[in-house]
Amino acid sequence: MATNAELIKVSGLCKYYYNGELKALDGVDYSINKGDVVVVIGPSGSGKSTFLRCLNLLEVPTSGEVVFKGVDITKKYYTDKNGNKVKLNIDEHRRKMGMVFQHFNLFPHMTVLGNMTLAPIKVKKMNKAEAEKKARKLLERVGLADRADAYPIQLSGGQKQRVAIVRALMMEPEVMLFDEPTSALDPEMVGEVLEVIRELATTGMTMVIVTHEMGFAKEVGKQIVFMADGKIVETGTPQEIFDNPQSPRLQDFLRKVL
Amino acid sequence: MFSASGFAKTWQYIQLFKEGLICTLSLSALTVIFGFILALVLALMRMSKFKPLSWFATCYVELFRATPMLVQLFIVYYVVFAKASLPSFKLFGFIRFERFFPGVVALSMNSGAYLSEIIRAGIQSIDHGQTEASRSLGLSSKQTLFEIVLPQAIKNILPAIANEFVTIIKESSICYTIGVQEIMYAVASIKGATYRIAEPLLIATAVYFCLTFPTSKIIAYFERRMSRGYKR
Repeated sequence: MATNAELIKVSGLCKYYYNGELKALDGVDYSINKGDVVVVIGPSGSGKSTFLRCLNLLEVPTSGEVVFKGVDITKKYYTDKNGNKVKLNIDEHRRKMGMVFQHFNLFPHMTVLGNMTLAPIKVKKMNKAEAEKKARKLLERVGLADRADAYPIQLSGGQKQRVAIVRALMMEPEVMLFDEPTSALDPEMVGEVLEVIRELATTGMTMVIVTHEMGFAKEVGKQIVFMADGKIVETGTPQEIFDNPQSPRLQDFLRKVL
Repeated sequence: MFSASGFAKTWQYIQLFKEGLICTLSLSALTVIFGFILALVLALMRMSKFKPLSWFATCYVELFRATPMLVQLFIVYYVVFAKASLPSFKLFGFIRFERFFPGVVALSMNSGAYLSEIIRAGIQSIDHGQTEASRSLGLSSKQTLFEIVLPQAIKNILPAIANEFVTIIKESSICYTIGVQEIMYAVASIKGATYRIAEPLLIATAVYFCLTFPTSKIIAYFERRMSRGYKR
């Protein structure tokens, strides 16, 4: 794919804990292009979530670069188009990256509508009526139009996660990051959430998904990344990864999970 | 101990209790406001990554919690404000500002230390995922604090804040030692005028109880109301 479509480029990404005793990420290089649906799989503790969380700097990497739309967001300053040195405001970049968490992290003191409109109103200075109209439209899309005024505590797990997804979509992000979006759900609610993500994939949204749902990974992923011990071990199309795994580590992993 | 004539004598000076009540209420209300603002600043300083700030806040809190209120009050009144000539006018026509103001300062500084620990515990009790979700939406750390973390934290610590307010109402009686005309000052004045002590003290007890008991009930009511909608 052409390099001008490159959205995120990660190089030499390392994240160490306890002064390097624990290497959560140990030199990760990867490029994500516009429209990609990248699914990251791997055993627990392989660094998948850390990798995802480094993409929007919720986790600050020990070393390495995360270049988002041409700007290395791990640095304090960057050079803009006109060659001026500009102080990096991470909030500006984060609002272009939506994130969905394993534990939903909805704001319990706000209604569904309040959760969804907060960032557009506070950050994008959208007016309230406009934001609410947009929120209702999105809620309709995920089948939750009637829950607009409910508080998160009144929703089921699956409903919470769908709200969390549309909350992120309210900011019209250029990439969506999913951190094990179905891991905290009861089995019967996994389907409804995956359905929303599946639908999102068909709209051409760039997505990076960390998941344990292998069937889903195979179906939705256009690129699969297999991680182990803080490194990317193997990448490829779902067919390559699932039907013809090369590395012994991946073969072993697939034997255990499939 | 108590006598009808004693009450009759005391009753002649009931105006002093009315003034004392107004004074105690103003003292407590201002203390809660300034104490809370100070506490918020101290709590944020204490959680700051910038070491000197958190070190300063820690020292402040430990110092004020480890020394008697009376000593703090005397230091503020006799030492800190000794040279500063405060404007001597009267609030509500009777409260001497030059005594009242040091009282507010001392009480605020003291309750700020206690409240800051309560606020800090409240902020730290909020799941870090809330902050992460907010930051991932592009809200700044300040917006996250004021829109997401503090509203939830304050709801959680409301009972503790209510307790602190009740404590302040009671502790404000100590300001009588520097001549602030609150309720205990009224008791002392009436004692001087009538040589009766039991009756004025009984009335003072009743007034304090009537202040603190409803206050805790009112805050308990708002606490229930605020948690409506998202209580498990």
